[in-house]
Amino acid sequence: MPEEGFTWERALGELERRARAARELGGVERIERRRAQGFGTVRERIARVTDRFYEVGEFAKFVERDADGRPLVELPSSYVCGLGEVDGRPVAVGGDDFTVRGGLPQGGYLDRRKGGMGGFVEDLAHEYRIPLLLFMDGTGGDVGAIDDKGHAYLVSSMSWRRCFEVMSEVPVLTAVLGAAAGGSGGRAVVSHFSVISRGSVLFAGGPPVVKRSLGIDIDKHQLGGAEMHTSVSGSIDNLAEDEDDAIAQMKRFLSFMPQNVWEMPPRGPRDDPPERREQALLEIVPENRRRPYKMRKIIHAIVDRGSFFEIGAGWGRAVISGLARMDGIPVGILANDPMVLAGALDGDAADKQVRFVDLCSTFHLPIVYFVDVPGFMVGPDAERGNVLRKGMRAIQALIEADVPVITVHVRRAFGMAVSATADPDALGLRIAWPSAEWGDMPIEGGVDAAFRREIEAAEDPAAFRREAEQRLLAAADPWKTVEAFGIESMIDPRDTRPTLCAFLNASLNSLTTHLGPPRKQWTMRP
Amino acid sequence: MPTVLSPVTGTVWKLGVSVGDDVREGDELMVLESMKMEIPVEADDDGQVTAILCREGQSIAEGQPLVELGSVPRER
Repeated sequence: MPEEGFTWERALGELERRARAARELGGVERIERRRAQGFGTVRERIARVTDRFYEVGEFAKFVERDADGRPLVELPSSYVCGLGEVDGRPVAVGGDDFTVRGGLPQGGYLDRRKGGMGGFVEDLAHEYRIPLLLFMDGTGGDVGAIDDKGHAYLVSSMSWRRCFEVMSEVPVLTAVLGAAAGGSGGRAVVSHFSVISRGSVLFAGGPPVVKRSLGIDIDKHQLGGAEMHTSVSGSIDNLAEDEDDAIAQMKRFLSFMPQNVWEMPPRGPRDDPPERREQALLEIVPENRRRPYKMRKIIHAIVDRGSFFEIGAGWGRAVISGLARMDGIPVGILANDPMVLAGALDGDAADKQVRFVDLCSTFHLPIVYFVDVPGFMVGPDAERGNVLRKGMRAIQALIEADVPVITVHVRRAFGMAVSATADPDALGLRIAWPSAEWGDMPIEGGVDAAFRREIEAAEDPAAFRREAEQRLLAAADPWKTVEAFGIESMIDPRDTRPTLCAFLNASLNSLTTHLGPPRKQWTMRP
Repeated sequence: MPTVLSPVTGTVWKLGVSVGDDVREGDELMVLESMKMEIPVEADDDGQVTAILCREGQSIAEGQPLVELGSVPRER
């Protein structure tokens, strides 16, 4: 019998055995239980998003010991991570393994975190300057940690620094597939793009915590369901129908992004002619000024066919935001939606706009803004929603954006909200359609306010009002502003795409020579 | 009986149908006024107007029921 000692055969056998054990995750039973609820495993998710995956730390283990130190439970560690390849691009990818103690944070039992709240996978994204893709599916905090450490852990001893640092370095994408609570939930929202699948949940504290704190019983979907977070709270950007859809959306978002802020976003195929003139653009805006229309139709007709990827569609709906391509160039699209609050900018729309402008500014995507806004939203709900402060932040974000902004005036542009559509201290290229109108306030509403006494004192108040309106409307004729070069350009709507493509192509000269972190002076957000 | 709900908070400006009318998907049932805009309310399916739950000039809230549509009896 050969004595025990190192042989390559034994060593490779050991490696093979441990690799098999790692693949079992938390065990067949737990895997099947989650599958029955519609959730895949973390290994499946990583395999589906990447074309290739080089795992790191697969042999790390979670071991629960008895009083004498003998192992009671031995499972693979609760996190899977490594270097992945997505559509030929290297990325750092990781995810919680819910089948191991609910995705237990590894800080309690490993010398080094693999991921989830900082950790190896985040260090990988930071050092190599590659995108970070994270799958959230964990409870994010466990009183059991006291047992592991033998003392209570002060949470402020744990560093989040890397999680925030990478936000200025590489695209960070998160997907909540399953449940993300506490720290895992917190990690989910510190991203450039987040997606949650139907049936998944996200919360600061789950139903048992809510019961203890507030004494109320609440179902976890009511508390932090996917639909709510993508339409009421806006905590998560996009809703996915299922895990496959979530992964497809992550890949789609990534396709508009550079590997890091030191590189240009990748130009897409240039197979849609920039000279394409769309007759349909004359048919979308109704001649009746009081009728709304579908702004998305305008966007789809102008950007490269099929390239528009909307972000945050369910929340802050008065503004539309999304990524698209123009002659292959990745651009950020903003547009007011006249179907929602008549396009007025309320607090949520302003917040959505701020985050989106910051995204485009960070990754060098020029912005095209299609304007039809009657002003900041008014009314008691808007005031209680802090519309002034949020609206002013939207203005600030736009004027501090580190990218060219081209503004297309489709219809109305009144009030302070218009300051959030173009920057007069930058090039401020504004292109109007003949359907466009602008001013401090719409004439119809303004006349009653400005001439109230005269109208009341007039012999024929209705006639006086009509006459005043006509006089002001004549002065407010957009062509007068065009003649004064108070707006840069007036075009046939069918020329929008060719015009935008020409200017966006030229703007590349600015973007390519301004890579890296932002150069504009950043002022504190009020 | 599918009920058509209001997409906005505003006022009923102009009713476009009466009880008993047959409508096709996409037909305009009425126009609401909200934020100085005329918001059309369209039928999202073929049907027959079985009840009108609002009147012109009435203030309505987002989600409030406006019209009931019954299914059209199909010729076989």
